[in-house]
Amino acid sequence: MPLNKLITLAEAVRQHTWDGMQYASGAALPVGSDAIAFGRELLRQQRRGLHAIFHANTQQLNLLAAAGAVTQAECGFSGLEGFGFANGLRRAIEQGKVVLEDFSNLAMALRLLAGALNWPFVPATVNIGSDLQYRRAFEPNVHPNPNKIPSLTDPFSGRQIGAFAPLRPDLAAIHVTLADQEGNAIMLGTEWSRFELSRAAKRVVLLADAIVHTDCMRQYPNLVRIPGIIVEAVVYCPFAAWPQASPGMYDVDEAHMKAMNQALGSDDGTAAYVRDYVESYADLDGYLDLIGRERIAELSHGATAFLLDPYRRWLLPHAEALAMTTAARA
Amino acid sequence: MSTDYRRQEMMAIATGREIRDGELAIFGVGLSMLAGYFAQAHHAPRVRAMTEGGVYGATPVGGLPWGIECNRLAVNAMSFTSALDALGCLVASGRCDVGIIGAAQVDRFGNVNTTGIWDGPIGASYRPPKTRLTGAGGANDIACGAKRYLIMVSHEPKRFVDRVSYITSPGYLDGGDAREQLGFVGSGPSAIITTLGILRPDPQTHEFQLDAYFAFSGIEEILANTGWDLKMAADVRVVPEPSAEELAALRRVDETGMLRR
Repeated sequence: MPLNKLITLAEAVRQHTWDGMQYASGAALPVGSDAIAFGRELLRQQRRGLHAIFHANTQQLNLLAAAGAVTQAECGFSGLEGFGFANGLRRAIEQGKVVLEDFSNLAMALRLLAGALNWPFVPATVNIGSDLQYRRAFEPNVHPNPNKIPSLTDPFSGRQIGAFAPLRPDLAAIHVTLADQEGNAIMLGTEWSRFELSRAAKRVVLLADAIVHTDCMRQYPNLVRIPGIIVEAVVYCPFAAWPQASPGMYDVDEAHMKAMNQALGSDDGTAAYVRDYVESYADLDGYLDLIGRERIAELSHGATAFLLDPYRRWLLPHAEALAMTTAARA
Repeated sequence: MSTDYRRQEMMAIATGREIRDGELAIFGVGLSMLAGYFAQAHHAPRVRAMTEGGVYGATPVGGLPWGIECNRLAVNAMSFTSALDALGCLVASGRCDVGIIGAAQVDRFGNVNTTGIWDGPIGASYRPPKTRLTGAGGANDIACGAKRYLIMVSHEPKRFVDRVSYITSPGYLDGGDAREQLGFVGSGPSAIITTLGILRPDPQTHEFQLDAYFAFSGIEEILANTGWDLKMAADVRVVPEPSAEELAALRRVDETGMLRR
């Protein structure tokens, strides 16, 4: 009998998160594959004081920062690409509610790699010589700061380089396109830094848009970049990245991306957003109703839907994936 | 030659003209992607274009992508890898020929700030900016690693400052050999292309000076919009206006008319 690691989103947050933890997600780009539904559940269970590790900002960090759940954050990119500035995160930083430590996008990937390999540091040939090296938000009174990206000498060439500290977050909530019940997972689209994050984090919870039969993984083992042996739990969560995109599964919800970011631009807007889009549903089906069945159909028939074609025969129907989640709990 | 075009379109075309056929090139979302894919559509069909997301062989479909992981790019990609691969193996390694980045502020030595706007210098103690911007993203990695890079920025006094308050992506730092001392594999910004003209660095001091202006602009207007005593190159010239072919190619790429708004 294969292990069944499927649990509900509420249970995953109850079991694997706590106030003040180092929480990683968003090993994705601001318009792409992030486990945003996990962030909504963190707010529903009123987690506070999080130290967020996000390779790049996404709507999840934007929301968590706006709602006051995050006090410290480390990331590379902090905007929303074509959707502009991240209003929630930006306001929280400007008001001093979130202290953001800035790195570049490569630096974040390298730091996750160093955490994954349990290296003491990773050589820095980028970020050096700029204020990414000299300014340290977590230690603001030391300038130029020697502790964020300390200078060191390349023992071979004698060149002055820097050292990036490794990242080992307490938990990584990672969005994947397809997972089986054991936690073997396939990501469609760029994996960005989800591979490194899955090895760097002390524990990993997957949010999968679809559950597939394990035979799917045996057919495409080269594509299974996250194997079940390093995964704690799997959550079946269609539209886990909404309103962002999941290549092959659904397109970016442009209208909601804009409306959400606009709402997060004020305290009142944030409160209304949390009321309407975080606390308003009871379970997974309620969440999907909230997105809207018509909108789901529309977003699911995007131009990249063909990417899913090779895997369709192994997709478990919605009811079956839900039943497996319940069975695992029993 | 056409005279019916917008300033932003001229900026994108002038930037695209800097991209040579066959180069390994990295573009960010927005203006730089338009300029880069314009070059591919017009004079550089074999440019090896990529984004920092590790999305290779893709050409945007259905309009300008909202982001690097957007389905408008994922729809016809040949390869999906990772950030470590794109920004590390292909950019920070020194393999990438040219990158295009944007800027909220740029200074006389081509240093770029995209982190925040403070009311004056930050001072000895770090403090939150008055206006928080988008941070480094992959731009710092491109600025350190790409063989050369281009900076695209709207030409306004608040953006062209003597010294940026925060160096997010290094240009030539304090000028002279300051950048060389850091041993980056990339040799620095080769041009700042603006909505009014083109600035290039002096080979010795690495201070940016006016190289050329657009037909609708002029030296006076550029000086009035630059926050330092901008020097002139020995032979300041007028940039040729877009040809009909160039404009047509750009507008095919800019399907949703972002540059004409």
